[in-house]
Amino acid sequence: MSGRHTGEMHSHTVEGTDPQLYVEVHDPASDAGLRPVLLLHGFSSSSKLNWHDTGWVAALLEAGRRIITVDLPGHGRSGAPEDMDSYSPSRIRADLLQIAFDAGVRPLHDGDPASGVDVVGYSLGARLAWEFGATQPEIVHRLVLGGPNIADPLAAFDLIAAQHYLADGTPIADESTAGLLKMAMLLPSNNIFALLSLVDAIKAEPFDPAEAVPHMPMLLVAGDQDERAATMPQLAELGIRAGSMAEQLTLPGRNHANAITSRAFKQGAIAFLGV
Amino acid sequence: MAEISFPLPDLGEGLIEATVLEWLVSPGDQVERNQPLVEVETSKSAVELPSPQAGKVVRTFGGAGDRITVGEPLIVFEVPDNTAGIVGTVPKDEAPTRRVRLSAVLDED
Repeated sequence: MSGRHTGEMHSHTVEGTDPQLYVEVHDPASDAGLRPVLLLHGFSSSSKLNWHDTGWVAALLEAGRRIITVDLPGHGRSGAPEDMDSYSPSRIRADLLQIAFDAGVRPLHDGDPASGVDVVGYSLGARLAWEFGATQPEIVHRLVLGGPNIADPLAAFDLIAAQHYLADGTPIADESTAGLLKMAMLLPSNNIFALLSLVDAIKAEPFDPAEAVPHMPMLLVAGDQDERAATMPQLAELGIRAGSMAEQLTLPGRNHANAITSRAFKQGAIAFLGV
Repeated sequence: MAEISFPLPDLGEGLIEATVLEWLVSPGDQVERNQPLVEVETSKSAVELPSPQAGKVVRTFGGAGDRITVGEPLIVFEVPDNTAGIVGTVPKDEAPTRRVRLSAVLDED
């Protein structure tokens, strides 16, 4: 079922610094001849939690797709650089572009189904996928955006309150901040201070989906109980108005935490990317 | 024919229970080893459990929304007699174990 895979620390410097990102490339046992799929996980998650444990890697390999996974800075097996710049969304997008090329992604070429790359992102990964598609139209073929939001919830994160809480346990008044920090602290593998650096960098570069809209076809997916993705139809509308084909898939009974394992989500994504 | 029962496996991180989200197989289905069986959610994440065993599904325990404790029965398979009696564990398709840490811990130098 699972073919060859390699995992390594990505060590190609971008703009003179090493992003310390952990990259895995998985080759299917039987290749469908289609372009690779780049998987981008969410805040406080990792490629393991978001894509391996949930069955995504197995399902995509079964469908004959080549897979590239990347752990975001401060997450999973990636390094936790001390400089703030390593965490800025624009810097992460530049690193992703380098990683895609190093993994063998070639520019889209008419009539060549193996050219380009498909991108699947969840939550923060969906924001990065939206921006990556908008800024790299010559390589991105299609997008799947899971649990997407028109505004990044991390931009409203109360960093000062989080720092006070971590220092002496002062309760956090803002519910969203408290929830996000609790989620981040549940996983012992998370580097909390690196995650807070990421939040800080996101506040400096908040998500502005209207600023650059992807023109390739996109599938937007969220659970109908997902409050963090309640603005998904507005995001789809932005895409449609810009001339993109934007399909939406709603998963009954699912929320932001448990939509990711949904079989309907995986099958919908695999069918959408199977062209 | 014999029956083999598998409990909810240890999901790590000190988790003691999980909630069933959705069964992906039904009694009567013939399943392959590593075929996805069920989606469950813990307090930390949602995961898909692959089948530890090839065989015909006899019974599944718990419907959507039900909690199952680690070690309690999850699924029963019917298998040919000569393969029964093996105590199974759910295999994990582990990511490569090589771990590279580049953040230097200067204090320990």
